[in-house]
Amino acid sequence: MAMELDAAQNPNPNPDPPISAYYQTRADHHAVVSSDWLAHAAAAASSVTDTDADAAPPPSPGGNGGGVIEEFNMWRRKPEAAEAVAAIMALTAVIRSSRATTMMELEIELKKASDKLKSWDATSISLSAACDLFMRFVTRTSHLEHEKFDAAKSRLIERGEKFGEISLKARKTIAMLSQDFILDGCTMLVHGYSRVVLEILKLAASNRKLFRVLCTEGRPDRTGLRMSNEIAALGIPVKVLIDSAVAYSMDEIDMIFVGADGVVESGGIINMMGTYQIALVAHSMNKPLYVAAESYKFARLYPLDQKDMTPAHRPIDFGVPVPAGVEIETSARDYTPPQYLTLLLTDLGVLTPSVVSDELIQLYL
Amino acid sequence: MPDVQPLVSDFVLKLKRRKVEGSHAVARQTAELLRSVVSQHRMGNTNQAAALADAIRAVGEHLIAANPIELAVGNIVRRVLHIIKEEDISSTAVGIEGLSVTAVSDDEYDSGNDDRPTLSAAVLASHARNTLRAPSLQTLLDDIPVSTALSHSASSAGDSDGKTGDKSLKTRKLKHDVIAAIGDLIEEIDTCYDQISEQAVELIHQNEVILTLGRSRTVKEFLYAAKEKKRSFRVFVAEGAPRYQGHVLAKELVEKGVQTTVITDSAVFAMISRVNMVIVGAHAIMANGGVIAPIGMNMVALAAQRHAVPFVVVAGSHKLCPLYPHNPEVLLNELKSPSDLLDFGEFSNCMNFSTQDGTPLLDVVNPTFDYVPPKLVSLFVTDSGGHSPSYIYRLISEYYSADDLGVRRMSSS
Repeated sequence: MAMELDAAQNPNPNPDPPISAYYQTRADHHAVVSSDWLAHAAAAASSVTDTDADAAPPPSPGGNGGGVIEEFNMWRRKPEAAEAVAAIMALTAVIRSSRATTMMELEIELKKASDKLKSWDATSISLSAACDLFMRFVTRTSHLEHEKFDAAKSRLIERGEKFGEISLKARKTIAMLSQDFILDGCTMLVHGYSRVVLEILKLAASNRKLFRVLCTEGRPDRTGLRMSNEIAALGIPVKVLIDSAVAYSMDEIDMIFVGADGVVESGGIINMMGTYQIALVAHSMNKPLYVAAESYKFARLYPLDQKDMTPAHRPIDFGVPVPAGVEIETSARDYTPPQYLTLLLTDLGVLTPSVVSDELIQLYL
Repeated sequence: MPDVQPLVSDFVLKLKRRKVEGSHAVARQTAELLRSVVSQHRMGNTNQAAALADAIRAVGEHLIAANPIELAVGNIVRRVLHIIKEEDISSTAVGIEGLSVTAVSDDEYDSGNDDRPTLSAAVLASHARNTLRAPSLQTLLDDIPVSTALSHSASSAGDSDGKTGDKSLKTRKLKHDVIAAIGDLIEEIDTCYDQISEQAVELIHQNEVILTLGRSRTVKEFLYAAKEKKRSFRVFVAEGAPRYQGHVLAKELVEKGVQTTVITDSAVFAMISRVNMVIVGAHAIMANGGVIAPIGMNMVALAAQRHAVPFVVVAGSHKLCPLYPHNPEVLLNELKSPSDLLDFGEFSNCMNFSTQDGTPLLDVVNPTFDYVPPKLVSLFVTDSGGHSPSYIYRLISEYYSADDLGVRRMSSS
């Protein structure tokens, strides 16, 4: 059943390697779609239009099992909702429609649903982290408060539905915490499109701080262009760099802010391709690198090197046809080890990377 | 609180004029002052803990502003706020447990009904305990509107007790507990040297060569303790220009019969290859594990790192500061009088204000502190044991509550 669904709904039926649904969503939400981009897209490999069409698979109302993924897809498309929120909303929907009469049954049902979700898009770290977090919450709630089953169930549903608010509140908290780090007259570099980082900049601008932002272009989906557009709209002076100009500009940069797709147990982060090399350059030039990430992105992963992750691929548009017989690196993300990160700004407070494993151990052991 | 006002303004003046300096003296006097603030505070009938905390905040704000470089002031203010919160919660938790007990004893027959209140009271108590802790992944999904849960539990406890005699007893109890806890804190500040020194024998081995810079009482006691335990070792003392406190330390060590060598600060790199361990004091330990220390320390730390010599910082827990250093070299620094460097009159012809545009050609800068980043520190020895820099956040979450970090911001809102 899971395999069928996989084939039916994963936004790319044929290609080799399969395209990461997570990065597909990100591109849909945050990439710049200009006339120029569309022209490039048309000129480039035809697979791009293919994936565009596939990104919205027809909702096929299936049985009990298909519901999770549909619900998840529905939420995933909302540009304001984070992936984790979508996951938790989907699991909440499972609880609501569940006909289980005991906590144990409900837990088993949820476990199945969350496994299905996770295997549907193995490339999304925040999806699996959010599923784990919610499962943990369910188990803990049922153990802590020996209330009646109905009461416990409605409490779970209520908490699950509040998660969207929690996510928004987390972003606000992070923005507040980060204000001390932004000094008047500083220049910061941001990489890729991150809602948290944007929230930080928004708050800083409304606090009348004077600073300048350099923004990477964020190839291949040009999320950086979208970011720079929104930063400029806030009235903050912004300059766009091509991704390869980071080292060139590093001497005028005072600090670097990046978001994260996931924070792993070592305290390192998994983020959009290019973060690792920015971190290396920053480290060698002694510039602080701050990661802004909500705590529900803490994932129980321990990548040992760059290749030690589920590969996430995405289509790359080079503008011109790629010469025949040339291989293309299509990975969408890289892993930045903790020693290159200065601090993590999370809704749990400002943390050093070593705190992440502590938090995860507390929760899951 | 009119009686303490002169005390407060007196201390503020002392801080402003730099009459009180050094984290130990400052921490101790702040704690004593806050203790008298608490004891003079008139307790109202409702929301006593919050009122008390507000009073402390109002005083703390002035104290912190008087000398923002003395981070120990802020540390103690936050510690006291944390103490108030802790005592309040422990007293309400007791109240809740009492409530649930009475509920059970009242209707013994209706066992189906009294299941609920008991449990929910227990849940409330656990939530109350949770509010003390820093936010964590565990509590991310739990929804505890902190204030309402607390005030609800407090009011329900009050309703059940009813009698006013009980209430005033409770009031006095909170105040008494807080004063006692501040007393413990003062005790802790005073005994931190002993606690730290106890660990000396484990760290200093026979025939080792120790390097230190300037003079720190904590370091002195640490070395004394090792000497008393019959360790024989040699100490290099960098003199600590421009105040040359190292000379004083050298004399004190020699009195106790410790083999001592005085070197200039600039000789640290030359001597470091013969050193087994660097032990220094600190002005403050920041939340990221960085250290604010007397000037010249960063150089020593870099020298130690270059030769892979362990760099150990000894400091009492009152020096633990829950803030993150932002541009510490400038913002957390103090420029002292140039008289430390130059004798008056010596360079008077260079300081002629009539030349050029009215600014003298010679400028003298005399900063007090250095910032040592956490990656250069091997170990912190505090009264609670040895910790690595990445563990400092844990100590901080133990001693302070997360919402007290900005003392000022809280009171204004």
